[in-house]
Amino acid sequence: MALPPLFLRTIEESGFSAWLRESESPFAFYFVLLFHTFGLALLVGANAVIDLRLLGIEREIPLMPLKRLFGIMWAGFAINAASGVLLLIAYPTKALTNPVFYLKLVLIAIAVWVMTKLNSQVFGDASSSEATMMARAKTLAKWSLALWIGAITAGRLLAYTYKYLIFPC
Amino acid sequence: MNLAPLHLILNHIPIIGTIIGLGLFIVSLVGDTDDLKRASLMVFAGVALLALPTFFSGVGAQGAIRKDAAVPASLIERHEGAAILALFFMEVTGALALVGLWRRDRLFTGKPWSSNLAVILCFSIVTAGLMARVGATGGDIRHPEIRLAQEVTKESGVSGIVSIFEPSPGKFTDLMLLSKWWWAFMMDLHFVGLALLIGTVGILDLRMLGFFKQLPIAPLHRLTPWAMAGFGVNTLTGILAFIGMPNYYTFDAAFWLKMLALLLLGLNAAAFYLSNAFNSVEHLGPGEDAPALAKFFAASSLVLWFAVIALGRYIQSFTDTIPVQ
Repeated sequence: MALPPLFLRTIEESGFSAWLRESESPFAFYFVLLFHTFGLALLVGANAVIDLRLLGIEREIPLMPLKRLFGIMWAGFAINAASGVLLLIAYPTKALTNPVFYLKLVLIAIAVWVMTKLNSQVFGDASSSEATMMARAKTLAKWSLALWIGAITAGRLLAYTYKYLIFPC
Repeated sequence: MNLAPLHLILNHIPIIGTIIGLGLFIVSLVGDTDDLKRASLMVFAGVALLALPTFFSGVGAQGAIRKDAAVPASLIERHEGAAILALFFMEVTGALALVGLWRRDRLFTGKPWSSNLAVILCFSIVTAGLMARVGATGGDIRHPEIRLAQEVTKESGVSGIVSIFEPSPGKFTDLMLLSKWWWAFMMDLHFVGLALLIGTVGILDLRMLGFFKQLPIAPLHRLTPWAMAGFGVNTLTGILAFIGMPNYYTFDAAFWLKMLALLLLGLNAAAFYLSNAFNSVEHLGPGEDAPALAKFFAASSLVLWFAVIALGRYIQSFTDTIPVQ
């Protein structure tokens, strides 16, 4: 049986990785995990509100001021990029030997790309009418919702589909 | 720590609460008084929320009583099966009550939505009946001054018919654990529900706190049904997860703190709508500032929701933090 690449073991054997994974401190692994979920709530929660509004719910919410929600979304993304790297340091073999992990990254990459498209194509021109904005957003908003649900699903599946929890010895 | 007292304190609330709610509701329908209709719907919603920790505390009480050989296991199982069935009807009644309170954008202040009152009446009558049975089967377990605990014998009449619909707790647990994919699916829904809930509640809370002031409040507040949908999905998946791994959650301090935070959120929402805070922000247009009281409720809502997320994430690391005894 082929072993996973050895650098995974090197990361796992580092003091920081071992501390994150094994420390009894409530500020180790679960603290990082909790920020990963806070980030999810900010990023996907805010994006979902924009998507739903663009798809036609609660048309009395003025569209243009929602542009400021992108700040919250980027903050959520930054929190999750940072906490995601820490989770990866804690369990590198678990994530990197699981195809679902790469699927999750791809889904997030496309979802963030759609998010930037929404920002530039729909919210980019302050003089656009709401009807124009909604017409431009129709496809993007649907993809955005589907991709984020896909990313959450892939993330959840990481807890159930891994082949190795830690490097096999 | 003995979790039995918690169950013995809480267990009267869903039974008596449903009966009080139903009584008020019937009076309000007969007298056609909208205030009383709203009040009884609020009782149903509140009791549905309190029924959750009541149900969850049962497993701890069971742990305490199982050592007592005088209590046959079949009695406890019958009580638990009755409780699962009653909880289901209680939560549906609570959800329908919230839907009934929601009329256009005036939660807790408008005229109740009359077309679903009949459905709520049916569900609350069934719930009250099932709750009575939960109380009776629970009393069979531990009321030696009235009757001694005896093995379950074949039941006749209404109890016999009802008992057919009561799930066997052990089989229900096995069903939840049958496939890891089912478990993953429930957890996935729990996270999607979380995002929907936090997104729609969060934007309203932030607006009241003074962010995104160009947005008028009324249409943001109309996003609340989406938050309720997220909460409904998470209540259902949460109950099913608990039934799947009752001992995992029962002896977990983070789980109980999460339940406490949810009860505080219920109180926070009730205080927001029943004080003048909601009226004071309801018609705020772009640029207008919310009064301090509304800001307080918005801030506590945000803090409590993030506490719920945080505590949920710590459940896994806090298993067995409550000693069985």
